[in-house]
Amino acid sequence: MARPSPEARLRAVDRQRQQVLSHPLAQGLSPDEVARHLASLPARRFPSVRYAERERGVPMLQPRGGTPIFEEQLRLTRMLSDAGADFVPLTIDSCTRHNQYDTASQLLRRSEEEGKAYLNGYPLVCHGHELTRQLYVGLDKPVSLRHGTPDARLLIEIAIASGIAEIEGGGLCYSLPYSEGFPVDRALLYWQYVDRVCALYSTPERPIHRESFGPLSATLVPPVVVIVIELVELLLAAEQGVLSFAVSFGQTGSFIQDVATAQVMRKLARELLDEHGFQAMQVRLVYHQWMGQFPMQRERAAALIAGSALVAGVIDADKVVIKTVDEALGVPRPEVNAEAVDTVRYVLRTFGTPPSVDSPAIQAEAALIESEVRTVMAAIFGLSGDAFWESVYRAFQMGWIDLPFSPHADNANKLVSMRDANRSIRIVDPGSMPIAPHDLVAERALLATRSDSSEKTYRRMLSDIALMV
Amino acid sequence: MPPETALSKRPRVVIGVIGDDIHIVGNRIMQLALEESGCRVFNLRTRNRPEHFVQAALEVNAHAVFVSSLNGEGEHWCADFRRRFQDAQLGHVLLYVGGNVVVGSRPEPEVVTLFKSYGFDRVYHQRPDIGAAIVDLFQDLEHGAPVT
Repeated sequence: MARPSPEARLRAVDRQRQQVLSHPLAQGLSPDEVARHLASLPARRFPSVRYAERERGVPMLQPRGGTPIFEEQLRLTRMLSDAGADFVPLTIDSCTRHNQYDTASQLLRRSEEEGKAYLNGYPLVCHGHELTRQLYVGLDKPVSLRHGTPDARLLIEIAIASGIAEIEGGGLCYSLPYSEGFPVDRALLYWQYVDRVCALYSTPERPIHRESFGPLSATLVPPVVVIVIELVELLLAAEQGVLSFAVSFGQTGSFIQDVATAQVMRKLARELLDEHGFQAMQVRLVYHQWMGQFPMQRERAAALIAGSALVAGVIDADKVVIKTVDEALGVPRPEVNAEAVDTVRYVLRTFGTPPSVDSPAIQAEAALIESEVRTVMAAIFGLSGDAFWESVYRAFQMGWIDLPFSPHADNANKLVSMRDANRSIRIVDPGSMPIAPHDLVAERALLATRSDSSEKTYRRMLSDIALMV
Repeated sequence: MPPETALSKRPRVVIGVIGDDIHIVGNRIMQLALEESGCRVFNLRTRNRPEHFVQAALEVNAHAVFVSSLNGEGEHWCADFRRRFQDAQLGHVLLYVGGNVVVGSRPEPEVVTLFKSYGFDRVYHQRPDIGAAIVDLFQDLEHGAPVT
C-alpha cells in the first residue's frame, strides 16, 4: 500500500538533471544563475503572490496564446497584458510538446523567413531562455506555461530559466488527452522529476507554482474522473516538495455540476493535503471556460464566454482561463484575444457575485460526486506499490482511472457517460472504475430523467458533445 | 442488418484517423455508431498512414474502410488511396472518407471531386452527423458503390 508521503521525494536527481541539461539547446543554462534571476524578478511574477492579492468573487484572468516568431510573441504578450490579463500565457507548439526540436527549429526558421506561422505555438526550447527573458522585461505579473508535454524535463528547465513561474501539466493530464502512445508510467515519473525541479527552485516566498490540467479530453468527462486525476497530481507534486499548486476543471455544461465540482474539489484537495502531512502547500482552483466544440457564430461564442465568466465568479475560482469568439475558427488574432479578456472583465465587474450559491440539487450533486471520489481514492491508496505514483499507474492500467475520449492506446475506454435532463454528465457504465453500487444507482436514476432515451446511443452522445453549438 | 446477425455475416469495417492527427472524438462515436448498426468494427484509432488501412483491410477481409481526418491532413495522405488497395488485390473494398478533410475552407463540391479522384466511393466533408454515411454503407454493400 502506497500513500502519498514526503518520504517519496526523488533522491539524486542531479545525474538525470545533468543529462537533461547537457542537451545542446540548453547550452549556457546554469541553475545557480537561474536561481539568481528568479530572485531578481518582481515578486508579482510568482503566482502565489498574485493570488494572495485577489478579491473574493473576482477570478484572475488568463487568456491562451503562443506564436512562433519572437517579435509576434512579444506583441501578443504586451497586448494581452495591456488588455488586463492577470496571468500572461506562453503556449508551446506541438512539435516541442512531442520533443521534436529539430522539426520545430526547421519550422521556426521557415516561419521567420516567410513571416507566417508554421507552428501552432512558441518553440521555447529552440528560442532558449536568454531570448525568452526579453519577452518579459518589466512585466510584473506571472507567466504561465501551457503545453501538453508528456516529457517536459528540458522544456520546464528552459521555462523557469526564462522567468516563467507557473508550470501547467502532470503525468496523467498531459499524456492521456494529448498522446497516443507515450508510456504512462514514464510520464508519471518524468512529472515527478518536473515537480522536484520546481521544488528545488522554490523558496517559501517565491515558489514555482504548478497547475494541473483538469479539462482533460473535454468531452463528457464525469466530475469523479476529473477530481481523482486532479487530486492524484496534487499529491504527487506535494510529495516532491512543491509548495503552491492549482487544481482545475473545465466547464461541464451544467451549472449545478460546475458548482458542485468546485465545492468537492476544494474540500478534498485541502483535506488530503492535510491528512498526508502537506499542510504547507497552498492550493488554488482554476476554471476553464468551455473546452468542447464552440459555436461558429461569433455572437453565440461571445454569449458562451460571458455566461461562463459568470459561473467562474459564482464558484469564486482563483483563476479563469478564457476563450475567444474565434475559438471554432482556429488560433485567434491577438486583437481578438485581447477583446476576450475585456469581455470577461466586463461581466465580472458588471454582475458582482453572491457570497455563495446553494440549492438542494447542488447539495445532492456534490454529495454524489464526493462519495464517488472518496471511493476511487481509497481504492487507489489501497493498491500495492513502493511509491504512490506506482499505485496511480496500476489504477490506470486496471481501468480504475478511465478517461472518456482519450486518444491514448492504453486507456481502458470502458466508461460510458452521457448528459441527464439538467445537462449534468452522468456515468452510464463505469467500466472498471470502482464506483459504489448505490452511487451508480443514483447516476442512472438521474440519467433516466432524459427524454430521448429511445434514440441510438451515438446520436445521444453526438448531441451531448455538440451541446454548446 | 440487425446486431444479432451471425458474427461472420456482419459487415467488416476498418476505421481510423489518418496522418499525425490525434482527434479521437469522432473516431469513438464512429465506432459506436457502426457497432450499433450491426457492423464489426476494426478500429485503428489515431495516427495512421495509408498502408495501415490497406494492411488492416487485408488482415480482416474488410468490406469497407472509413478514413477520417479532422486537421485536414487527409488531403496530403489520401492521394492514390485506391491504387494502394488495388496493388494489394483489394480493389473491391468500399472506400469512404470524412471529417474535415482539407485545410482551410473550400467549397464542398471541389473537395468531393478531389477525393473521388483519389478513388474514394463517397466523401463526407464537414457533415455534422454520420447517420447518412451508415445508410450509404448498407446501400453500397447491397448494390455496389455509385458510379461516378
